[in-house]
Amino acid sequence: MTAAPVPSDAPGDSPPDGRLGRLMSILARVRPVLAWVGRLTRHQVRFVLALVGAAWGVVRESMRPNSWRRTVREEFRLCLRQVVAGGLLSTLITATLTGLMVVWQAVYWLGFAGMAQMTGSILVSVLVREIAPVLVGIILLGRSGMLVLTEIGILTLGGQIRALQAQGMDPFLLLVLPRTCAFMVGGFTLGILFATISLLMGFIITHSAGVITTSVWTFFANVLMAMSSWDFLVIPLKFILVGFFVGLGACMTGLLVDAEDTIATLMPRGFARGIMTVLVVNILFSMGG
Amino acid sequence: MAQDGPVLDIRAAQPSFDESGMAPVPVDLRLMPGDCAVIECRDFARATLFADLCSGMIALASGSVRFMGLDWTELGDRQLYALRGRIGRITRRGSWLDLFGTHQNIILQQLHHTTRPTDDVVADAMRLGMAFGFPGLPLTGPGRLSAADLARAACVRAFLGRPDLLVLEDISDMLPPDATVAFLEAITAARDRGAAVMWFARHAATWADYRPAVNVHLRLLDEGLFPVRGV
Repeated sequence: MTAAPVPSDAPGDSPPDGRLGRLMSILARVRPVLAWVGRLTRHQVRFVLALVGAAWGVVRESMRPNSWRRTVREEFRLCLRQVVAGGLLSTLITATLTGLMVVWQAVYWLGFAGMAQMTGSILVSVLVREIAPVLVGIILLGRSGMLVLTEIGILTLGGQIRALQAQGMDPFLLLVLPRTCAFMVGGFTLGILFATISLLMGFIITHSAGVITTSVWTFFANVLMAMSSWDFLVIPLKFILVGFFVGLGACMTGLLVDAEDTIATLMPRGFARGIMTVLVVNILFSMGG
Repeated sequence: MAQDGPVLDIRAAQPSFDESGMAPVPVDLRLMPGDCAVIECRDFARATLFADLCSGMIALASGSVRFMGLDWTELGDRQLYALRGRIGRITRRGSWLDLFGTHQNIILQQLHHTTRPTDDVVADAMRLGMAFGFPGLPLTGPGRLSAADLARAACVRAFLGRPDLLVLEDISDMLPPDATVAFLEAITAARDRGAAVMWFARHAATWADYRPAVNVHLRLLDEGLFPVRGV
């Protein structure tokens, strides 16, 4: 059987070739964009999955008494001191300024609108439940999270993490677990301090200006009365989880560096991830409430 | 821990080239308690990779590496790290954490893996430190120490405690001459205790003084690990 020769200028062949060529040319132009989107997506998803896995790892390891060896306890103590002492002044100043702004404005305008009885619930909703965790998260990230990120990032880039492993020391146990737990405790401590100081400063200013005339005990009693049982659970939980994820995110960003990373590329990435973490934790709880 | 079998048993271990960059050639080596193997290797990086292979830090394409009778690949993370705690290692790779003082770097492994009282560990480290030429233990950060002092500190760290295997990369270019005798004495003391020693050397002159006591002499090349006759 012989095939009939097909002339090169056969009319049936030309249009498919042309379509294929155009398709290939479009693909060639789109491919780099698609590759970039894919790379970015994989990179972000990888970090989120690593964060979730590491969070479970921290919870599980922290339950084992054997994990809390003296080296881990010492690291926890040092990091907790750094987180709380390092963030204390910033927290007090930020809480004072926030208290002045938010409490003053809330009390003034609610009184103006004849809704002074709503003061407690507004302050709890706005200041303690929403603003405080975000600001405490940002203070934790800026004062201590970036420091942890830099320290661990330098160790990873310098190969010291591998040297630690060669000595039989698990970097997760020695660096990630104690620091994440320290951030968690520090987040709760600074958060409660922030809420208390901001409310107190707000009260002092409004009381001295004569906007409110009740005693400090009545003022705080009003705030507590305005809190629901959900608030008593969610507010401490927000402080704890913000601290937990800021610490864990900083540690994991430092550990998961690429070969071509430098501190200059690492720090902006760590900061962006930290801010995202703080906001996501707050938004999830706000939606839940 | 009493050890009847080999401390380190490498059987036809072929490193995964993709993950390590090591030549994928099978390697065999067996070290019994008290053995001292000198491995001549010109390339520091290759020596470090081989030390990593012995410590279970390099993925294998085939074969096995057993330390104290346990195959690294069959261990979970916890056992793996605990077992590595029984290796005293001198490495040329940056291994000093600037987060801590040098003294803490030295005793960190012992504090992490043992329940010995901290005072005992510190006293032991000070005794070794003085043997290697320190007035005690260096408290300053490792970044502020000279290369010679870092080499002394690396020796103290490696010999501290009772390691079952010593993996000593060549730091003879940094270790001051006054610490050489202490280095050889520490090797002998460890071997007398039942530890096996793997000592990487770039030149024959490095270990010439210890030649009569060496019972395994090998050469590490890209093509693999080869015995050298005439020890």
